Amino acid sequence: MRRITRLAAAAVVLLTSGCGLESSFALPFDVAPGSIRPVPELAGLDIAVGSKDFTENQVLGYIAEVALVAAGADVRDMTNIQGSNSARQALITGDVDLSWDYTGTGWISYLGNTDPIPDERAQYEAVREADLARNGLVWLDYSAIDNTYAFAVTEEFAKANNLRTTSDMAALITASPDKGVFCLETEFVSRNDGFPGVAKAYGFDPGATEVKTFGTGTIYTATSTGLCNFGEVFTTDGRIVALNLVVLEDDKKFFPRYNATIVLRDDFHTAHPQVGQVLAPIVAKLDNDTIRRLNAEVDVDGRDPAAVARDWLVSEGFVSLPAS
Amino acid sequence: MTAATSTASPQRVERLRLLVQPLVVVALVGGVLLWAFTSDLDSIERQSINASALASATWDHLVISLVVTGLVLVVAVPLGIVLTRRWARRAAPLFLGIATIGQASPAIGILVLFFLVSGTEGLWAAVLPIAFYTLLPVLRNTMVGLQGVDPALVDAGRGIGMSAGTVLRRIELPLAVPLILAGLRTALVHAVGVATLAVFVNGGGLGLLIDTGYKLARVPVLVTGAVLAVGLALLVDWLGAVVETYLGPKGLR
Repeated sequence: MRRITRLAAAAVVLLTSGCGLESSFALPFDVAPGSIRPVPELAGLDIAVGSKDFTENQVLGYIAEVALVAAGADVRDMTNIQGSNSARQALITGDVDLSWDYTGTGWISYLGNTDPIPDERAQYEAVREADLARNGLVWLDYSAIDNTYAFAVTEEFAKANNLRTTSDMAALITASPDKGVFCLETEFVSRNDGFPGVAKAYGFDPGATEVKTFGTGTIYTATSTGLCNFGEVFTTDGRIVALNLVVLEDDKKFFPRYNATIVLRDDFHTAHPQVGQVLAPIVAKLDNDTIRRLNAEVDVDGRDPAAVARDWLVSEGFVSLPAS
Repeated sequence: MTAATSTASPQRVERLRLLVQPLVVVALVGGVLLWAFTSDLDSIERQSINASALASATWDHLVISLVVTGLVLVVAVPLGIVLTRRWARRAAPLFLGIATIGQASPAIGILVLFFLVSGTEGLWAAVLPIAFYTLLPVLRNTMVGLQGVDPALVDAGRGIGMSAGTVLRRIELPLAVPLILAGLRTALVHAVGVATLAVFVNGGGLGLLIDTGYKLARVPVLVTGAVLAVGLALLVDWLGAVVETYLGPKGLR
């Protein structure tokens, strides 16, 4: 009886595991300073950098790690924590000192609001104030990376139906409802900034469409093989490039802003303000085109996210390779 | 769960369990539903926690579990019978090995891999890999049950002029039934659990609630989905116990 309860619970645990955060991994390579100089206050400081379990967040995590190593810190690699909530929990409890999060995620998932704020700066400021007051977390300045939702179609389907924007999509499925076949993630189906909201904003009837639910990773394949006509994708995903998908422009600016931002605990940030100062120029340099290229190097070419992060920092001159 | 005194006989404990388990499930599920529907839900939670969404997720989950069971039953039991015949014994390790691989691999991996390779989605994309995954307990128990039949009984059957088929039907299978059913029960409970992963290949089910609740940090949605899945597993386990009690050979009760 107890065993059976455990079995069923195991399935739940499978989906929500993210425990036992113990690691003492350093980076697998050395870097030397570039435009990032060694900072005396950071010398030998132990910093645990975390990330969520998807490529982009890992790449961003490694970018922070490599930069901090160049600045002289002692970095512990805690990237690839399963699930947003677990990653955030690790930051709150102090298992991790620094991680990247997204303004929209903070506002809707963590702070429990249902409606996003359309303007990216206003959205960022709202999250920053609420999260500091409520949870003692500091959001540093936000980057230009805006990893938000969009609908993608195959190139062929876009050409055949003359699709460029989400308004075109709405017009098409209103005219021929049988073409309204969507692949969506579970959470997108029930978020206000997801499917119900899109349908309302663009004026089509969600009840008349056919919705198929997939995992985040399987949507790209399902869309490219034609299991559905419209796939819900993330705008910065490398697989868009790899599978030749066409991203429909969000012409009514409906989707929330998901600007990638470094988050720290307030006490850690106050004790070590240099961490934010070292990373600020890097944050300013990042944008969607850059991160999409880096994501594709991992997801499409199969490169290691740490090496991708290091090579980009080297190419931008932030760090250099040690003279061997 | 075992609310038995030390003097109670095992049969009595089992009877009591058959009575109590469904009541516990009803109380558990009823309690959680009551809590979910009476708590203050925001608009995101209301998308998942409403009668029609819950009913369709539970129904999908049940269908997946039942189809998996049916499939496992028509594949594993005959295969187990064939593999215990004298002429096929050599092949037994091979099939057991394949079934073990199925059970040893991570379920979500099998599901997604099957989807990527076959390009199917929906019910069958979930059912086929889960069936492959749950095949082993039934196959193994069928074989062990049949191998455990006393050879003297088989010889006696042949000695009074029964054909091999009659011996199988009238002696071997009835004696192996308790073990076969135990394996099936295990497989079913497994299937209910793994069916929560069907959501990743458009299979629906209670995984919808669990995944949504987890990703959006909405505890009522997550807990409702998880408890419903547990309730379903307990219910299925109870059904298995009932069948075991009344389908086993009378002499062994």
